[in-house]
Amino acid sequence: MKRVLFSILLAVAISPALVSAGEDGTEILNQRCAECHDLTGPAPQTIRDLWKRDAPDLFYAGNKFRREWLVSWLQKPERLRPAGVNYLRTINSTPKKHQDTKKDAKQFDVLWGAVLKPLRHDILTGAEAEVVADALMQLKANEEQVAGMMLDTSKTVTLEQGEVLIDKVYGCQSCHQIEPGFGGYTGPELYTAGSRLQPEFMLSYIKRPRNWDPKIWMPNGNVKPEDLQKIVNYLILLAKEDYHATSD
Amino acid sequence: MQRAIRLVMTTAVVAWLLPSAVMAEEAYLNYKSYCMQCHGMHGKGDGVNVPAMNVRPRDHSDNKYMMTRTNTEIYKAIKFGGPAVNKSVKMPAWGDVFTEEELTQMVGHIRTLCCEKELIRGVNFK
Repeated sequence: MKRVLFSILLAVAISPALVSAGEDGTEILNQRCAECHDLTGPAPQTIRDLWKRDAPDLFYAGNKFRREWLVSWLQKPERLRPAGVNYLRTINSTPKKHQDTKKDAKQFDVLWGAVLKPLRHDILTGAEAEVVADALMQLKANEEQVAGMMLDTSKTVTLEQGEVLIDKVYGCQSCHQIEPGFGGYTGPELYTAGSRLQPEFMLSYIKRPRNWDPKIWMPNGNVKPEDLQKIVNYLILLAKEDYHATSD
Repeated sequence: MQRAIRLVMTTAVVAWLLPSAVMAEEAYLNYKSYCMQCHGMHGKGDGVNVPAMNVRPRDHSDNKYMMTRTNTEIYKAIKFGGPAVNKSVKMPAWGDVFTEEELTQMVGHIRTLCCEKELIRGVNFK
């Protein structure tokens, strides 16, 4: 009983300190996010560095995300990339003959030794999410990449036409999902991209992923300027669909 | 004197071996990072993305098929994508990702996956 009382007292004593620390978004970023996320840049320059990355780079978050999406996602983090940021965490490339032979058999991965375990994202409170989103929107690296980008809303497409572009013309769907469970696994889901990302970022990133992330496994699709506008318009249209309501 | 000669010889051998070893690792790492997602970690066309694809990625260990392809065709397929060799758009163009050197090394790496025996025999893949 005494111990319980003591812990309650301790919690009460500590909580003001926690709240005051939480008032500053940058402080939260540095204390709780910097361990996995890169807040300063630059992006990985070699393959070895690339595979050490376990969380998306945030040093250009202000040029990438929509603020309202950040606020809601930080309070309810959900998986965006079906195979994870580092998809070696999802696949076990240990040859079959070495798997489960013995209980204490060494599990290894072709690239990085021990098999990696999936990670979980920190959950923030509403107030924390607001200040952290504010702090993230201040991180504006790669400004020159989005400077010349402008979404042409007159290049509209229907959902069907957009799907043809994504699946048949440029083959994006091999790695990206355009609705839950429909598409590849190593890229982030596309059905939330329109609500998650700024249009200028999507235009710039699809045009040449290397400009943002020199070693990323997304190739340059050599997308024609007109199709680029159509694809981004399609992604924005796609994000308005409610997939959770229409699951069959 | 003999020790000095031996030292020079070993250094020469190491210096001769080192660049080729480093290059081999680069192609291997590139394959494991970019090609693995569809062609699989051992090149058998069973990558993590395959369940969702309507065109199966090429099995690079398929000796019978791969022997019908020239090195130029493989090079073109990697650099300009599937449509450049009358194949699916699902194979993207990697010309912006790999340098010329990396591209030729990648062709060599793919030959080690499909055609090791022929490599040893010294077959000309053109």
